[in-house]
Amino acid sequence: MSKPTNESISSGNVQQFLTFVLNDETYGVGILHIREIIEYDNLTIVPLMPDFISGVINLRGNVVPVINLARRFEHQAKEVGKRTSIIIIDIEDQDGESVEVGMVVDIVNEVIELADSDIAAAPMFGAKIRADFIQGMGKIDDKLMILLDVNHVLSINELSAITNIADELTTPSKSDTL
Amino acid sequence: MNDETDYLAEGRQVFVEESSELLQQAEYILLKLEDEPDNDELINDLFRTIHTIKGSAGLFGFDDVVAFTHVAESVMDQLRDKEIFLNDDLMGLLLDSRDQISQLVAHALDNAEVPIGDSLRETGEELLKNLHQYLDIKTPNSSIVITAESELKVLTESEIALELTEPESEKVTNDYWHISIRFNRNVLANGMDPLSFFRYLETVGDIINMTTLTTDLPSLNDINPEESYLGFEISLASTASKEAIAEVFEFVLADCQLQILSPRSKLSDYTQLIYALPEENIAIGETLVASGALTEDELLKALEYQNVDIDKQTIVTEENITLDKITNALMDDVIIDKNIVDASNVDTALDKQKQVKEVEQQSVRVNAEKLGDLINLVGELVISSAHTELKAKQTEQAELLETVENLTRLVEEIRDATLSLRMVQIGDTFNRFKRVVRDLSKDMGKKIDLQIVGGDTELDKTVVEKISDPLMHLIRNSLDHGIEKPNIRTANGKSETATVKLEAYHDSGSIVIEITDDGAGLNPEILTAKAIENGIISANQQLTLPEIHRLIFAPGFSTAKEITNISGRGVGMDVVNKNIDALRGQISVNSELGEGTSFTIRLPLTLAIIDGFQVQVGQSSYVIPLDLVEECIALDEQQAKKGEYINLRGEVMPYIHLSEIFNDEDSLNSTLDKPGRRYNIVVVEYAGQKAGLVVDELLGEHQTVIKPLGKVFQNLKGISGATILGSGEVAMIIDVPSLIRRVV
Repeated sequence: MSKPTNESISSGNVQQFLTFVLNDETYGVGILHIREIIEYDNLTIVPLMPDFISGVINLRGNVVPVINLARRFEHQAKEVGKRTSIIIIDIEDQDGESVEVGMVVDIVNEVIELADSDIAAAPMFGAKIRADFIQGMGKIDDKLMILLDVNHVLSINELSAITNIADELTTPSKSDTL
Repeated sequence: MNDETDYLAEGRQVFVEESSELLQQAEYILLKLEDEPDNDELINDLFRTIHTIKGSAGLFGFDDVVAFTHVAESVMDQLRDKEIFLNDDLMGLLLDSRDQISQLVAHALDNAEVPIGDSLRETGEELLKNLHQYLDIKTPNSSIVITAESELKVLTESEIALELTEPESEKVTNDYWHISIRFNRNVLANGMDPLSFFRYLETVGDIINMTTLTTDLPSLNDINPEESYLGFEISLASTASKEAIAEVFEFVLADCQLQILSPRSKLSDYTQLIYALPEENIAIGETLVASGALTEDELLKALEYQNVDIDKQTIVTEENITLDKITNALMDDVIIDKNIVDASNVDTALDKQKQVKEVEQQSVRVNAEKLGDLINLVGELVISSAHTELKAKQTEQAELLETVENLTRLVEEIRDATLSLRMVQIGDTFNRFKRVVRDLSKDMGKKIDLQIVGGDTELDKTVVEKISDPLMHLIRNSLDHGIEKPNIRTANGKSETATVKLEAYHDSGSIVIEITDDGAGLNPEILTAKAIENGIISANQQLTLPEIHRLIFAPGFSTAKEITNISGRGVGMDVVNKNIDALRGQISVNSELGEGTSFTIRLPLTLAIIDGFQVQVGQSSYVIPLDLVEECIALDEQQAKKGEYINLRGEVMPYIHLSEIFNDEDSLNSTLDKPGRRYNIVVVEYAGQKAGLVVDELLGEHQTVIKPLGKVFQNLKGISGATILGSGEVAMIIDVPSLIRRVV
């Protein structure tokens, strides 16, 4: 059971979500988290990273990490196509500092409005992704759509912890005798 | 209203910076005085420093600070007058007083509304009691000795009294101070409110009478409401010294004419006053009578006296007194009156003072944030200029290329100049440890001499700030665990006084800080036993000596048998190592049992912009810090296949393929595909270790703006950061030290 965030309460009964497609499935993410949407281009690979980290991009002079969302969900990632985009998300790290992180999606659709009554709680099981990644289920025309909890999907704490494990696996132990 | 609050906040900020700087300076002077107790110059500096703190604290109404500082200042004043002399006790007392002032200032800034805490007050009272003992030594019969050296001599109350050698009849009868002040017209424009000075004056004494002179006031039509036209004659009942009263007006001295006469001044002083003031003599005289400063008789006498005596006397107008010359001015008064020193001597002294002031003014205080912004902007400029250069090369227009080349050169110069703005000398940080060493060595009953070498070595301010704590840990450790007690030292044939040396120097793009002591050294047996006990290593693990020494950096490792309040919580060295890591630096330890221990810290000079060397591995570009690059050589196929070492002009040098380290499949595959292709080795050197990095292609120099990779990549090894290339792509910066550690 996830609670709506503070921002969603303050914006009244209607919340706005950006919808996008990943592996033929539609997801929504609250627009208050979204900084911008950019074309998939000029990505630099960071060596020794697990495959859900696509690399980094230069976003107006800042180096921003980009997450391969499909791999983060432990799904197969599609080939990069014409409509592949990077959604830049603003999240807070554990120290309360604002951090920009990009996530790769197949197609960006539109912004929709959902009334609170159209948002159901996350299902306990049966979803294709981890339960804590789901903020709720949005209903549009009797179809259900996963609304992502980006603070969990892109948790800096978790990402850096996983990269650490990946790093230890690939690094010979010689460098860390002590 | 808001503006006023802003001004106040801004002023407070200045006070915060100024007071911390002054307090640090005071500590430094005190420690220096310990070595040269007879250095008058130092005593003068000390007095001035404390005096300035008192003055500014007074301006903000930090009464606790002022009250305490005043007593400390008085003791220093006596030191200056050679009425008391420095000894160990007084030294300790003054150092403690400095700490107390520092605490009081911190308290005032944090929560001036709340009264100071009990412990702080008790310490204060104890210190005051001790300070007063020194004040009481002063004998009332001490005579005034004014020589050319004691330039900054200021009259204390009793001295003023002594100065009054003329017969009683020559003196006026009132018991109050008399203050004449005429504010300049522009005083309001300069941000000073005359009223606030009078309010502050009331904290020094009681205003008995105050006459406002309106003679300068123009007719209503001509009044400019932003100018000040008023003069004031004030009678003040106060036990404060002339200096303390003058100090009230310290900040407005440049914008006013100020005359202060002490109680029962000579009549001739009043005569001078009357003539020096801009108003009509009679008008002034009547004002003085009306305000009770003079009686009618005295006024008449004063005016007569004038005719007789004025030629012989030098009238000292205080019109031109600038802020920091107040003490000189007060002294002028005395010296010239008494004809002890001739005028030219005084001029020389004043000139000297001026020169000192000019040197001080050559630096400008800039907000660190602004400087950070500037450096970021220059970073963007560097990237932008790289981009321009790339585009210009594509056009192949000679003229454009020439201009761009010029531009690039200028950008490089701007980059260097900007970065140098943030470079500070490490000496200030080092000097702070003198106090630590002094106090700790006294506490522990050890004799320790702290030597500082290379204090003028410069490095980035952001690095300096972060290195201070780790250094403190290391020094404390060295003092606590390293240095033996004097009796043990003599028993081991060492000199009783131990030496701890702090040294800083530059070495190929890094700054190196060494902390060396001639103490007991690290005992490998104890270290190993302790590490096994704490489960850091297993009992049958065989370690080399350097590896054993490095055990002290392991988390949860502490050898102190008992926990002292100085070190020994078992977190110190671990934290030191982490902090230095965070600065992309390295720490190493070298120790000889019985001979001493030395720690070597290597840090990058700056965390902002470096010269880089760009290389290609597979599809990716990497940047190697140019300062660490020794040379580039070709590696032939034969050698490449043979393994991990090559012969570099008779030297055995290990090398690694970056493609293997970074698991770059593109490069690995192409390596396998093409027999007979050339390999390039970039030879890098760090901390005396050489290693080769095999790359696919050399791309040349690149001005590298270091961009942090962010927290997602905080555990990534082998990469120290990222940079943006001229093409707008991101390239990784190679962490040479960690790679070298891997191969060596």
